[in-house]
Amino acid sequence: MEEIKKGGLVDVFDLKNVDVHIGEIVDEGEGEEEWEPMGPHPMPRIATLRDWDFKLLNRYKPFYAPICDMCCLCTYGKCDLTGNKKGACGIRMDAQQGRIVLLACLVGCSAHCGHGRHLLHDMIKKFGPDVPIDFGPEVDIEAPLTRLVCGIKPKTIGDYDEVFSYVEEQIVQLADALHTGQEGSYMDFESKALHMGMLDSLNKEAADIIQIACYGMPTSLPGGGPDVPLVDVGIGTIDTNKPVIIVIGHNVPPAADIGVYLTENDLEDKVELGGICCTSIDTTRVYTKAKIVSALGRQLRVLRAGIADVVVTDEQCIRADVLELCQRVQSPMIATNDKAMHGLVDRTDDDPNKIVEDLVSGRVPGVIILEPDQVGEVAVRTALQMDKKRRSLNFILSDDEFKYYVNDCILCGGCTLACPNGLHIGEANKSAATGNIKPLADLFDLCVGCGRCEQVCKKHIPIVDVMTKAAYPQLKAEKGRMRIGRGPIWDSEIREVGAPLVLGTIPGIIAPIGCGNYPNGTKDAWLIVKEFAERNYIVTLTGCMAIDCALWKDEEGKTIYEAHHGRFDAGGVLNIGSCVSNAHIHGAAIKVASIFAGRPLRGNYEEIADYILSRVGACGVAWGAMSQKAASIATGFNRLGVPAVVGPHGAKYRRAFMSRPDIKEDWKLIDATDGSEVYVEPGPQDLLVACETVEEALPMMAKLCFRPSDTDRGRSIKLTHYIDLNQKYLSTYPPDWHLFVRAASDLPIATRNELLKKLEDEQEWKIDWKKKKIVEGPIRGYNPSFNPTNLERLIRGKK
Amino acid sequence: MEVAFDVANVSGPEMGGIAPPEVIGSYISSARKPLLVVGSEMLRDDFFVEIAIEIGKKGIPIAATGHSIRGFVEKEYTENVHYYNLHELTNYLRDPNWKGLDGEGNYDFVIFYGIIYYYASQMLSCLKNFATEPLVRTVSIDRYYHPNARMSFTNIMPRMEEEYKDMLDKLVESIKR
Repeated sequence: MEEIKKGGLVDVFDLKNVDVHIGEIVDEGEGEEEWEPMGPHPMPRIATLRDWDFKLLNRYKPFYAPICDMCCLCTYGKCDLTGNKKGACGIRMDAQQGRIVLLACLVGCSAHCGHGRHLLHDMIKKFGPDVPIDFGPEVDIEAPLTRLVCGIKPKTIGDYDEVFSYVEEQIVQLADALHTGQEGSYMDFESKALHMGMLDSLNKEAADIIQIACYGMPTSLPGGGPDVPLVDVGIGTIDTNKPVIIVIGHNVPPAADIGVYLTENDLEDKVELGGICCTSIDTTRVYTKAKIVSALGRQLRVLRAGIADVVVTDEQCIRADVLELCQRVQSPMIATNDKAMHGLVDRTDDDPNKIVEDLVSGRVPGVIILEPDQVGEVAVRTALQMDKKRRSLNFILSDDEFKYYVNDCILCGGCTLACPNGLHIGEANKSAATGNIKPLADLFDLCVGCGRCEQVCKKHIPIVDVMTKAAYPQLKAEKGRMRIGRGPIWDSEIREVGAPLVLGTIPGIIAPIGCGNYPNGTKDAWLIVKEFAERNYIVTLTGCMAIDCALWKDEEGKTIYEAHHGRFDAGGVLNIGSCVSNAHIHGAAIKVASIFAGRPLRGNYEEIADYILSRVGACGVAWGAMSQKAASIATGFNRLGVPAVVGPHGAKYRRAFMSRPDIKEDWKLIDATDGSEVYVEPGPQDLLVACETVEEALPMMAKLCFRPSDTDRGRSIKLTHYIDLNQKYLSTYPPDWHLFVRAASDLPIATRNELLKKLEDEQEWKIDWKKKKIVEGPIRGYNPSFNPTNLERLIRGKK
Repeated sequence: MEVAFDVANVSGPEMGGIAPPEVIGSYISSARKPLLVVGSEMLRDDFFVEIAIEIGKKGIPIAATGHSIRGFVEKEYTENVHYYNLHELTNYLRDPNWKGLDGEGNYDFVIFYGIIYYYASQMLSCLKNFATEPLVRTVSIDRYYHPNARMSFTNIMPRMEEEYKDMLDKLVESIKR
């Protein structure tokens, strides 16, 4: 063989001992369609958007509240970092907190990326890579985040291979930065966390688009959109006279296969398919006879109640002790995902008859089946047989057992000290022992369902079971309704509401998302949705909050989904879908910039985020945020310019992003029309902040919908709600309402004189009472042509 | 050794001490410029609102966080009471250049009262770790042991509510301004 020289030509037929692999084949003329000129930042790397991050971080400076004062990650340690001391490697406490935040976002982002990649593998195997991404006539911008971040317009699910490859490489690079002896600046750790958050949002969009495309989940094709059907929610909706299958997790293919098996075998009305957490939401998007048993917060109690004849797990948000819980109530378990195998034996490709026999006989407590299409038959046949075996079993405590346990409590207080919410369980037990079970029953909804109380009980009282027994009548009556996840917001809806959203006449988008670690029960979730929907905000929900708010009803007996329409419009209450579906909320904000304002999307993240931060009054709320996924989700929202409120448990994420309204220089924007610098009001004031109670969170969310671009009419509507929510829940005017007043026309007409008087008396503003105008006082006057930006490159002409 | 109210809330080598009301009252009395930070748990009983007002009447300004401001409005005691979100307030307190509620500078001493345990613990952690130059001293007068405060009460279970009320009375009595 000839020696290969640099720049020389080689005849491949002369090569020996060489394997030639052919990867992607691109036909001539079938390259990337020129759908839009490429923007400045396609597939950004770690440092690409750092300038944007630093603009955010300099205004919304990272705030740290360590949950541990030490670093324990290397053998120099433990290092005491208390008081912002340096550890042995030189890292200070603030940078260490940034590092831990990045680690949390890494875990969250990896979960969504792993989920999406897994889904892509399964779907390509089942349907091939050419499944078209076609969401019907009302959705032209099918993948706003993919277009924005990657500069790719995906046509088929196979196009997402490139997207995941990009994300996977970035995740590895970001994980590298966590190693001892790498990054040392908290600001750069946070920039990396923001990058991770953006990648996470991309993962979610990819995962949901793939499953929508392959399973025909609702879009703008017939049957989708605002008029998707309602499904049952709640433990009380499950008919335990039938065989019951409970699916848990986030990755829907195994549950979808169960639905297919039930349909093909005419068992839809003979077997109950219920779910917990996001798998349940996604199951109802493919099989509308499925029921949503509960959100994450009730997983332990649903399993312990023993209603499942078989439990099928996939990935994420599954209790680590799920197998033990299943064994306790003789429910066979089928694990279907290699990320959560729980020590079971892999029986993929085994004879279904043998697997079913082993499960039903109890020879094995559970099995692993990693091929989704093999799960349906095994799960259904096992449930049918187990139902007969388990019919006589009852895992709800008898009256005598209940009495024994509540009397056995010695009021030591150990359970209270172990409880995340510090619930006074002992006192409720004592009350039950004297015949009043209401305090104990009332704890059921306040309990986050962790079970730590039982771990410390000196008397080994099964506290979870005792609480469930006390609340059993209300559990049986727990029957809610929710719309199935509708997926993407339609382009046509954005065309209708883009202007009112940016001008402020629809006061904002409120996005309740995330887990069930609530400070005071699920009713807060309902109250948040109700309050804002009734005020004509657009409420877009995903995940556990979408489920939990459906458990409560108004005076007419309607759930929040029944009481409000499902359009992306004022007063709408939209279940977007599971956790991965909340990418469509990002997508809606991006589409406002693209469709309403005509901003280019392709590879243009910074400009779009700048637009959203200044103009789109949207606010996320993760009232029960618990997981690392919630951390990365919120961080992804933040990089895009969307603020988020968390409940008090969210303070344990260690980091917040809050501004300083009292530092004028932090609030200098540019008028892109002429390049002039303008000092503006603090809108939005924070990017991530915790509230102690829902009463405080409601006005806070209204405040975080102010944007510098609001018209005076829009601002007056937002001010009306901000002031009214403060008066309703805090019994007072907000102390900072005057900061958001630019002119008298910003004030609500009904109370304009009263508010002008307050401005004159309390803020010493000068008012021209004849003209009803503000002469002196505001941070700035109202300029309807103000074109706010944080980016100098967007200045159109110099003053 | 007392355990934290949330039993696994063991922060590190620097854990605050437990003290009786007279000692905490005396410690508060040593402050140059103290601030009382009140949370929504105060609203569970009128008695606790009255305690906050009594402390306020000793010339200690009150930052009402959560929705605790309602208690003061209902009692028509709003002089020297300001609503703040606790996260945002702590963000101010960690900055030595903050002008304070009165526009005359930051505080050297913060009293936490009536705040959900775990939220308060995180904010106390922030002040412990980052409000160090100059030092902002912290105490909690809640019914919890707070390792992140320099001083707090022990854990007090509901059956000891009357004793807790007595402790607060003693504390107020021992604050000399």
